[in-house]
Amino acid sequence: MANRFELPNLGIGLGLRTKHYSTILEQRPAVDWFEILSENYMRTAGRPLDFLDQVADAYPVVMHGVSLSIGSSDPLDRQYLTELKALRDRAKARWVSDHLCWTGVAGKNTHDLLPMPYTEEALAHVVARVRAVQDFLGAPLALENPSSYAEFAGDSMREWEFLGRLAEEADCALLLDVNNVYVSSKNHGFDPLTYLNALPFDRVVQCHVAGHTDHGTHIIDSHIGPVIEPVWRLLAAVHQRCAGVPVLLEWDAEIPSFEDTHAEALRAREFIGAVA
Amino acid sequence: MNRQTTADALGLHERASATPERACVSPPAELGQAPAWTEGELGLRAQQEWFAAIVSTPRDEPAPVDERSAARLITASATLSSLERIDIYRRAYHARLLECLVDDYPVLQHALGEEAFEAACRRYVARHPSRAPSLNYFGQYMADFCRTLDLPEAGFAADLAALEWAIVLAIHAPTATAIGFEDLGGVPSERWPGARFRVNPSLAVLHLAYPVNAYLQAYRQGQPSARPDASPISVAVYRTGRSVWRLELEPTMVTLVESLANGSTLEAGLTRVQALLAGDPEQEVAKKVAHCFQHSVSSGLFTEILL
Repeated sequence: MANRFELPNLGIGLGLRTKHYSTILEQRPAVDWFEILSENYMRTAGRPLDFLDQVADAYPVVMHGVSLSIGSSDPLDRQYLTELKALRDRAKARWVSDHLCWTGVAGKNTHDLLPMPYTEEALAHVVARVRAVQDFLGAPLALENPSSYAEFAGDSMREWEFLGRLAEEADCALLLDVNNVYVSSKNHGFDPLTYLNALPFDRVVQCHVAGHTDHGTHIIDSHIGPVIEPVWRLLAAVHQRCAGVPVLLEWDAEIPSFEDTHAEALRAREFIGAVA
Repeated sequence: MNRQTTADALGLHERASATPERACVSPPAELGQAPAWTEGELGLRAQQEWFAAIVSTPRDEPAPVDERSAARLITASATLSSLERIDIYRRAYHARLLECLVDDYPVLQHALGEEAFEAACRRYVARHPSRAPSLNYFGQYMADFCRTLDLPEAGFAADLAALEWAIVLAIHAPTATAIGFEDLGGVPSERWPGARFRVNPSLAVLHLAYPVNAYLQAYRQGQPSARPDASPISVAVYRTGRSVWRLELEPTMVTLVESLANGSTLEAGLTRVQALLAGDPEQEVAKKVAHCFQHSVSSGLFTEILL
């Protein structure tokens, strides 16, 4: 099923990381697309943008943010949104995504993806803000399900219900992080297929896969190491529900060579067939 | 006047969406030693303020909430208590910001030692919480902060931090192409006295009490040296293309570069350089003045001749 926003299937991409800049710019390897961390290229006028310009000239780029703070009770940061839009235009980004979370309050930024209480109050708050952001950007915003390590006692619904209702009521897109579904399912004790079955898949425009760290008592979304088989199998389950969604590998700790990172991303083919 | 480039010429530090797991040197304080946080139902705003207050509490201080209060807002899992679950976020918050400061100040970390550096960073994070969407400038207060440290090496640390921060600023400054000698050839001789020069937009000239550039260079070459005694230096930090350069400047070059950066004509700048050399043999003065200008050009300090 194609997504309702008619955003393209870019194929199998990689998170753009500085460790790989030289290889990418000097060898121009055949990669379907790159995802950039938006904030790495904001509040700078220098070298980061020089690299980004070269990458954006050669590859399709998608922007992935960590500071939109869509769930915060602080007002939306208009300056941030202005910079985000300018960066999108500069990078010719196909779409912009961020996380269903809040990153700070009272003007302070923790730079972490903090968990939302899943209540009617929070839902109404986030729906209104997503609509405002989309109006500002003039394009759909894709929101990612975060990994989480805590749940609020006052929750009146589960994350998948919140996310599904948010997507419908705000008319936004979803970035489905398959590893995050797995991590949160272990941390909170739910069946990941229950999560998947509740999502409106016509709104899923992108998938993430990544490695993580299992501490026994909980799992941390560290983006380290290769993707484990259960996460790949979850990706296959996602693919059965929305074939043709672009897949991206995030690898942020102990990052291997470009070739090894890309080879790991391409393993997605084993689980999504020839469609992507 | 050796020009030295930073080794990590790509130099952008990643800020990712992953949860960081950097191990801290000092163990966290016990949790749950403070009084109960609140009573009654909390709305979204109050819950977020409550959560953020705990997350941002320094790792070596008790959490400002006990287990019973925490359980009223955050459920326990099958394996972790409510506070232990919140503490995952608390660890991540401090680990990410510490990681950022380590990225920006690797030589300062070496100079202070891992433990003292981390302790300083904990205080820095508490005093200068991030208020920006990007972490690119989170470390901007470190030099001033170091001066407040109750350490014998506070002045040295502050100078070292100033140098490392200048490198960060050069990375983020606009990119410009430096002029070379070939660009000078087209200037008619009668226009030279009134010529002005646009300096590299990334250029910062630092005047420091300690010879921290040599210290930094020794560290980068894998031959760390002992903390030096005070001995003033002036050092230019700037970027050409991908490379960030550090260039120790003699007083004549400081005078010329700062004059031209302030908009003086070449004639005025060179006159000031000459004044510095008063007392030197006349032939030597001419040679030194010429060398001073040539070295400034060949080092890539200027990006445009304004006639």
